[in-house]
Amino acid sequence: MSLTDLMTMAKSNKMLQRQILSQLWEVHPDECFQCMRCTSGCTSLKLLELKPHEIVLLTNSGFVEELVSSDIIWTCASCLKCRERCPQKASPYNTIMALRNLAVEREAKVPEVYMKVVAQILETGLMQQVKMVTSREMQPLNRKKLGLPKIQCPDDKFKSSFMKALGG
Amino acid sequence: MKVAIYWGCEIPTAQYAYEMSIRQVFPHFDIRLVDLKGASCCGGPVRSINTSAAMYLSARNLALSSQTGIEDLLVPCNECHFMLSETKYRIDNDEKMREKIEKLLAEERLTYSSEVKIWHVIDLFHDLVKVDAVKAKVKRRFEGLKFMVHPGCQIIRPSEIGRVDHAERPIKLDALVEALGAETLDYSEKLDCCGAALLHSHKDAALSLAGSKLKAVQSYGVDGFVDSCPYCHMMYDAKQEEAATTVGGKLSLSVLYYTQLLGLALGVDQEKLGLHLNQSFNPNKLDARAKNILIPRGNLDDRL
Ligand code: SF4
Ligand code: SF4
Repeated sequence: MSLTDLMTMAKSNKMLQRQILSQLWEVHPDECFQCMRCTSGCTSLKLLELKPHEIVLLTNSGFVEELVSSDIIWTCASCLKCRERCPQKASPYNTIMALRNLAVEREAKVPEVYMKVVAQILETGLMQQVKMVTSREMQPLNRKKLGLPKIQCPDDKFKSSFMKALGG
Repeated sequence: MKVAIYWGCEIPTAQYAYEMSIRQVFPHFDIRLVDLKGASCCGGPVRSINTSAAMYLSARNLALSSQTGIEDLLVPCNECHFMLSETKYRIDNDEKMREKIEKLLAEERLTYSSEVKIWHVIDLFHDLVKVDAVKAKVKRRFEGLKFMVHPGCQIIRPSEIGRVDHAERPIKLDALVEALGAETLDYSEKLDCCGAALLHSHKDAALSLAGSKLKAVQSYGVDGFVDSCPYCHMMYDAKQEEAATTVGGKLSLSVLYYTQLLGLALGVDQEKLGLHLNQSFNPNKLDARAKNILIPRGNLDDRL
């Protein structure tokens, strides 16, 4: 279903809209005048049909629930072009991040990889395990064989602080 | 001079060539790198889940940096550089966020200080070491070779928080490559994104973004493609073969980190720069174009 379909079917929810606005700092989606400068340079427009100006418009119209449960907010490549170029400091990028945060909070569908990363950070402090790599000649190599020092991971105190940060 | 270094996640767990070449080149400029102890993820991938938790992670690494007593912090990953800079800008200007984060940091007896200066490889060489000083150290010049560069997205935008280069017309990486005697060409796809952020959720789109840029660069007939971010590099180097399937045709473009190219120019053995880890790199091709750029592998005098 396209976003336009969603808009004609759904009811506006001003409370969720306020929640998104309260998440944003020095970013003002409500001042967007739909010039579409963001969309004209968006990395994900051609391949994934992301139209950042539409995300901002729907947010302003209160169709936050629909956005939060749609796949479209997960197609942003984080290139930051829209944030740089927006003449109104509406930053679709930040609006999209706030919508993603709300999707997590409301337990909407979130691409699996994001949750995995959080679990991994809780375990080792880093977002992924140390990998074995292969040279062009297919020789398997690790940090030690390459002469790189051992990684010093954060200790358990970090874990509990990070848990708290996630909770509040 | 001493510079603290924050490696992030992707470099020390996967992109070893970047770490190796960084560790090799900085001592040539009398810069001693000091690793942060107990550093964690910058929070980049956590931002989608919880923005303030992501900023806590960044602030924690900034606090670890202050703990070393060194003011300058080198952050060679574009995503980490953005997250740390964005967090610094936010807590330096938003009292509420600062208080929230300081409370969490206090549990580990860490304190955030706004004194830290965040650098990337590109501006550290261009603005602090200076292009002429780079030029003066070069032993093997890349005379007659042509390169195109990829500065990436997150170190040049958004300019309001202070970035490494101009948001729409970045030129510093070009200047640094030219300092090694090579030529760089400007091209209309220069600002195109590598697509790495989409790799695990929208793989085809990510590969197609990387593939179309590589295809364009290859069509200009350059000798190599130079980047300086572990994510961009992973897309253009390790994923090059896969990316080729999305654009039709074959891709065979040598992709190098700037610090690897610089290392070669300084006369460092290619294996110490991790060049054998670059899947896309074709040493014979480069050697044929620029005599004596590569020290033969197996020349023990030049090894560790
Ligand atoms: S978000 Fe900014 S760039 Fe996009 S349409 Fe609105 S005002 Fe224009
Ligand atoms: S940050 Fe996201 S929405 Fe903005 S231009 Fe880039 S891909 Fe599009």
